[in-house]
Amino acid sequence: MAENDQLLPHEVPAPPRTDLWIAVVVFVFGTAAAWLAFRMPTYVEQKGEIYTAPGLVPGIYAVVMVLLSIWLGWRAIRQGALRNQAANLQNNESPPAIDMRLTLAAAVCLLFVVGLIGRVPFWLAAAIFVTMFTSLFEWQSDQPVSLRLRRIGEAALLGLATGIAVTLIFEKVFYVRLP
Amino acid sequence: MLDGLRELGVAFGGFMTPHTLFNVLWATFLGIVIGALPGLTATMGVALLTTLTFSMPHTEAIMVLICIYVGAIYGGSRSAILLNIPGTPASAASTLDGYPLARQGLAGRAMGISTSGSWLGTLFGILCLALLTPVLSELALGFQSFEMFWIAVFGVVVAGTLAGGDPLKGYIAGFLGLWIATIGQEPHYNYQRYAFGFTDLAGGIGLLPALVGAYGVAEVLSAMRGPTVKAVINKIDSIVPRIEDVLKYWRTIFRSGAIGVWIGILPGLGEDAAAWSSYAAARRASKEKEKFGKGSIEGLMAAETGEASSVPGAIIPVLTLALPGSAPAAVLMAAMMIHGLNPGPNLMLEAPQFFYQIIAMLLIADMSKLIFGFVLVRPLIKILLVPRERLMPVVFVLCVVGAFAITSRVFDIYVMLVFGLIGFVMRELKFNMAPLILGLVLGDLLEKNLTRGLVLSGGSLTPFFTRPVSAVLAALTIISVLWSIPAVSKGARRLVRRQPQSG
Repeated sequence: MAENDQLLPHEVPAPPRTDLWIAVVVFVFGTAAAWLAFRMPTYVEQKGEIYTAPGLVPGIYAVVMVLLSIWLGWRAIRQGALRNQAANLQNNESPPAIDMRLTLAAAVCLLFVVGLIGRVPFWLAAAIFVTMFTSLFEWQSDQPVSLRLRRIGEAALLGLATGIAVTLIFEKVFYVRLP
Repeated sequence: MLDGLRELGVAFGGFMTPHTLFNVLWATFLGIVIGALPGLTATMGVALLTTLTFSMPHTEAIMVLICIYVGAIYGGSRSAILLNIPGTPASAASTLDGYPLARQGLAGRAMGISTSGSWLGTLFGILCLALLTPVLSELALGFQSFEMFWIAVFGVVVAGTLAGGDPLKGYIAGFLGLWIATIGQEPHYNYQRYAFGFTDLAGGIGLLPALVGAYGVAEVLSAMRGPTVKAVINKIDSIVPRIEDVLKYWRTIFRSGAIGVWIGILPGLGEDAAAWSSYAAARRASKEKEKFGKGSIEGLMAAETGEASSVPGAIIPVLTLALPGSAPAAVLMAAMMIHGLNPGPNLMLEAPQFFYQIIAMLLIADMSKLIFGFVLVRPLIKILLVPRERLMPVVFVLCVVGAFAITSRVFDIYVMLVFGLIGFVMRELKFNMAPLILGLVLGDLLEKNLTRGLVLSGGSLTPFFTRPVSAVLAALTIISVLWSIPAVSKGARRLVRRQPQSG
């Protein structure tokens, strides 16, 4: 469909070993989902039809996922997933390292949702979150102290402005409930 | 026809109030900004604004969302041309020729071409919507549960096959989305599936929080990994589109418009597929192939026209079949349902004026986009340079509000987080998100029509394969699956090439 010389990011194939792991995970997940589905009551004793049984449709989906995972796993093995790791890395790339920025971003977002929302007013939660997020990512230890403090001050202003603006606009102008 | 024009006039008249026009202007502006900023997508914009417009009357709300949608798809070309980074996935094709033109000192001309191509593309798409929607609606009125079942299955399968990337992973994502849609109370006996005793899970997985997570939170996480963006282009030449560009490439415009509408109609493909397909077709047909990738006016025009015409194209199946043609169209469909509209074959019967209102909304949004295309160039350069470290936390706050606001459940915020993680991981593992979202959207439709069809047929599967339209849809579905198997498609192509020689 995308007939061009450059592949979009999701079109670049994953290494076969990765596909094999995906197949294993989907197989386990699908099997568990199918087992839970077929354990659901059928209501046939209450004169229900078998094709209206609650577990039928999700069970079918789960079985299809299991079959697709077997296909994916078989294909990955044919492409050399069980060979040594060097053969599974494309274009001499090194194994992916943990991305610190990504981990930090995810951690701060989680802290906002789990640690702040519902415990303090939303405008304050948003202000603290934006301030913390911006300060952490703009922090550079090689900068002079005055510049670092200025960045923190700007982050705090941004946080406060975000908290107040979002609350005012959503609650007062558009009558939307906030957490 | 005169009745139709009169209804269209009434629809236009209804929107010509200062309040509505003010909404049009800020929504289109916001849409262009969202589209221009790398890391923000049209889907995210429409999903977040669905929350904001919750308390508005339905016509006003849908108008705002359409302006955001149209603006965001267009806005991606700004950063594509100025920064060589597509603002939305749909603008990726525009970087190939837009940025080289900017490097040659023709950034203004490039933006003028993208504005004119986008405006004309949307107009073409609106014309197709006006002509095709009544015909498709009439056809769809004859559909029963058997046909609707196959439409849902076909939608998920086609999204997996054609959305790009690995079809096998597309099918896995699609069936995962269908399975997730079964979580919660089922419709016949109110049995709580996969709830494990949790009341929140018994209420099911909300579509909007899932969409905000998959397209909002996942993008925030991806954006934080990216490098800092720097503007290379500082000087902007004239941005006024040249009539000779439009006249010289009129065939390209028509071709790209038609491709864009067609791809927009196909479920789950989206504006990026439309842009790339239009670009590729233009290059194949061009007499100036060597210029493509180096600053081709024709290439940029094709990409922009294709992606813009796919916006009305994606709305056609929403109105006629309740089948979204793209991810933003899926959110738009969810917004229509939230506002009490019932997209699908009966919409033209229950609310015929809405069809004309949609046409009027698209036309007004297109004109507003044209105006901003001239006015917003220099201010937008400054907006593009907002550091991600400051923008992304604000976006995340809006995602949290968006997930919470519709049903006021904190659980939906957790759903958003989970889907953000799922979306991010799936992208890293080379899955396309479109089939997952389509599965989530179509799951309810598929299950209801499957069980209703089985009840009607007394448990027999025969009508699913013997009714004429069902048989065609079933065959298309099976062919799509078989075609995605490389051995089958290669064998079929070899067979076709051999036949003329043996005859």
